[in-house]
Amino acid sequence: MGIQEQYRKEAAELLSSGEVKLVIGYGEGSTAERRRPVFVRSAEYVSRLVLDGSCVANLSSYLVPEGLLSDGKKVAVFLKPDGIRSINILAAESQLDPEQVVILGFDIEGGQAAPLPGRKASDFTALIGSLKSAGLSPELQKDADRLEQMSASERFGYWKEQFSKCIKCYACRQVCPMCYCRRCIVDVNQPQWINTSSHTLGNFEWNIIRAFHLAGRCVSCGGCDRSCPVNIPLRLINHRMAKEALDTFGHYAGESAEQQPVLATFRQEDPETFIL
Amino acid sequence: MSEPFEPKIVAFVCTYCTYAGADLAGTSRMKYASNVRIVRLPCTGRISPMFILKALQKGADGVLVSGCHPGDCHFAQGNYHARRRWTVFRALLAFTGIPEERIKFSWISAAEGAKFTELINGITGQIRTLGPFEQYQELQKVIETQSTY
Repeated sequence: MGIQEQYRKEAAELLSSGEVKLVIGYGEGSTAERRRPVFVRSAEYVSRLVLDGSCVANLSSYLVPEGLLSDGKKVAVFLKPDGIRSINILAAESQLDPEQVVILGFDIEGGQAAPLPGRKASDFTALIGSLKSAGLSPELQKDADRLEQMSASERFGYWKEQFSKCIKCYACRQVCPMCYCRRCIVDVNQPQWINTSSHTLGNFEWNIIRAFHLAGRCVSCGGCDRSCPVNIPLRLINHRMAKEALDTFGHYAGESAEQQPVLATFRQEDPETFIL
Repeated sequence: MSEPFEPKIVAFVCTYCTYAGADLAGTSRMKYASNVRIVRLPCTGRISPMFILKALQKGADGVLVSGCHPGDCHFAQGNYHARRRWTVFRALLAFTGIPEERIKFSWISAAEGAKFTELINGITGQIRTLGPFEQYQELQKVIETQSTY
């Protein structure tokens, strides 16, 4: 039995036993390689679920909408390790109760989906610990290093070119499981912190502030990169912020549901070499 | 171009330490560069990175953020939280190419009027050598000339 049949069967069992009220998974998309989220509420529809190497999106963002979990019932969701980290962060930030999330865990190895044992976010602590010791993505770090070798004005030029493409569609915000604010700072107009028309300066501010708000929270699922219609390397900035949190404060986002958010805590001996 | 460049510097300070330090500099009749515009806030923990970006956007050539020394915060922890935030924010600015040398952070207590004077004079001198922050100001000019609001 392949992994897809195995997980369809598990989803059907969860739904027919009444353990979960909803299964969030992947279904056929508009092209052969694309997957779109599928919401299954009854065991008879589990055949719509697809699980293969193309299932890359982080579905944890579908758990945050208001009211979904307020009835106390459980929801099952297909998650890769990055999605499980997102669940831990959302739990640490009091956005959901991890007990209400049943995880159908899998990982993609060599283009194929492989099952991960465990049902609750806490079952994956050891796995996430091994990811932390393996470190952040070396490919992204290579790109970051290339940028950091430039002079500041060259870097500014690079990002100016990238951000000048931004059309402020906010797809990056909508896809991100960490962007759950009911009123985003960019929508606040009294005072208007960020220019909403898509000129380069306003784009700079928007993307800088979003990166700042994701510092120490981004799990590098790559949703922003994939959803950006003009291909701004958003993940690269978020990677640089994750590196700062890891190198300076030893913080790896989403290690457990009890982990304090990096900017909501401090140590007296935090470095302060830059302060005059 | 006959007039020499005078930088605009915005200082975000906490009311319990650095603002009192600036006050001490004033009552002690110490002179410091008049390029600095002080914005008083309850605590450094209240200073959002948005403030810094907004100051630069609206034409500041440099920004100073200053508060109580660690352990002296009126709210006990505000400056510790702020310090973490600045560490991350500085990395972000560096990575996006916004010159770090235009954004300064310091601890100045209510008793350090002399340190405040020296710091303001020092920063004003440095920013004067750096020149105006044209990278951002050019982008702002584009907005002002092209849009109607």
